Amino acid sequence: MLVREIMHADPVSIGPDTPIERAAAMMREGNIRHLPVVEGDRLVGVVTDRDLRLATSSLSTRPSAPSAPVREVMSHPVETTHPLDPIEVAARVMRELKIGCLPVLDGPRLVGIVTGVDILDALLQLTGVERPSGRIEVRLVDQPGELARLTALLGEQKLNIHSILSYPDGEHRGRTVLRVGTMDVRALAERLCDAGFEVLWPSVQPCRR
Amino acid sequence: MPKVVHHPAYGRYDLGPEHPFSPGRIDMVLDLLRELGIALDPVAATPVTIENLLAVHAEDYVRAVEAASAGEAGAEQASFGLGTADNPIVPGMGEAARWLAGGTLHGARMIAAGDAELVLQLGGGFHHARHRLASGFCLYNDLALAIRHLVSQRKRVAYLDVDVHHGDGVQEIFYTDEDVLTLSFHESGEYLFPGTGWPHELGQGMGRGLKLNVPLEPFTEGDSYFSALERVSVPALDFFRPDVLVVQCGADAHHLDPLADLMLTTQDFERIFRFILRLAGEYTGGRALFTLGGGYSMRVTPRVWAILYLVLHGLPIPEALPAAWLERWRDRLGSPSLSTLHDGAEPYPAVPRRGEITRQNAMMVDRLLDAVARYWL
Repeated sequence: MLVREIMHADPVSIGPDTPIERAAAMMREGNIRHLPVVEGDRLVGVVTDRDLRLATSSLSTRPSAPSAPVREVMSHPVETTHPLDPIEVAARVMRELKIGCLPVLDGPRLVGIVTGVDILDALLQLTGVERPSGRIEVRLVDQPGELARLTALLGEQKLNIHSILSYPDGEHRGRTVLRVGTMDVRALAERLCDAGFEVLWPSVQPCRR
Repeated sequence: MPKVVHHPAYGRYDLGPEHPFSPGRIDMVLDLLRELGIALDPVAATPVTIENLLAVHAEDYVRAVEAASAGEAGAEQASFGLGTADNPIVPGMGEAARWLAGGTLHGARMIAAGDAELVLQLGGGFHHARHRLASGFCLYNDLALAIRHLVSQRKRVAYLDVDVHHGDGVQEIFYTDEDVLTLSFHESGEYLFPGTGWPHELGQGMGRGLKLNVPLEPFTEGDSYFSALERVSVPALDFFRPDVLVVQCGADAHHLDPLADLMLTTQDFERIFRFILRLAGEYTGGRALFTLGGGYSMRVTPRVWAILYLVLHGLPIPEALPAAWLERWRDRLGSPSLSTLHDGAEPYPAVPRRGEITRQNAMMVDRLLDAVARYWL
């Protein structure tokens, strides 16, 4: 999944001399929390609702006036991403720097913005239930051909796989969770069990093998 | 006395010898009731028309089902969920599904017209059928058709679904409807088809706070199940004040069901059916339409639905199964041999995680009631 598939294209942006109070109003009106700051056609910073609240808080050591330009409070230089970056790379950058958004640049041009919420949406798309489906969970040995063997068996049963998710489970093992287009997953589980797979869900009686 | 609805044409809804949704289940119930000395005289209805179906289904979907049923090939069939393992294309399936939907709709019409209070439709319960999608063995959503008719006759309808799978089709069709409350109790979508039915699915727009879901942990037993049923349905009905109950009585929450993981016994089902009947008495002047549903163990499902029949008719539950019935269905009943209508003592080994499961379910109910409280002001 690429950044361009989950980003908000053509985001609202502001100039560096925009007053803080104007930026705050734009965030309220648009129900957004991040504004890229653009000078000419160059991205020069990002301002978040948190930046604005901190800058105008009585707790701030260097409070700014509501009429002050956002260049005083914006974050810069800016971490950015590219439309063709994989989302996990964008997520990794956001996680390591603990930041809430990445402007998306194509060359020098601002083409989009990705936020933490967009990453959550992507996670939901990857793990969620888009169509009515049953769930089957298998522990696979981490070696070539195992997943292929599993999916081939499902294909033979004429079962549609709606989603597939794998993650490591100890050394040399991985858990694979499949959402498949059938209500009768137990019959499938028994077949998988017979074929030598370690089925974690649904619970099946000891295999016939 | 309840009115019973049935027609022999229901038996044509047969998705194949290997398919779990076997019409044999209904044959076995009818035969069991007869052998118990009950003179069945069901009301027969006619099939619903294509026109009728458009009250809840998209026209292109209905056309696709009927075309597939008539043996015509269509490229779009797969996108409507047709021709899958769960919903194979079988000649005549559309008409058979319309016979079944006709029975459920007829039940609703009798109630709306004041010709009946309590109706038991011995078939139907196709709660997975969606507006534009065949799913989970279901083609036409007979429950939604019945509910839509009742609403058109100015009735407020509470739908109660005790099938082990989430009643996703009914919920989808009435998701924004202010005249329909849906309550579904099911094994959690984390573990079981169709994967939906979470407490945050509360309805939209005018329907907000009127679609309630209680996902239960795998291996949930009767007491924990019943507590959830009671704790959610009573306040929901208190708030909603329905005119009619529509109840989907799937028998697949039984511990022997091959498709799911809950641990109910036939005794639990009797308790549940008696409770729902009491709800009908207290909230809807006894007006309630009961349908069948899922239930895939041949040893269990006919017994659960016979108990449903007996409870609704106020008849005593006999202890022994008739010998002639046991003999006639011996192959399907399998071994070990059965002798009683109810499950025997200690029907399954103790569930080791019982305490944890009970706590988890109770917390799920707490969270649901908290989430919905703001919409019930």
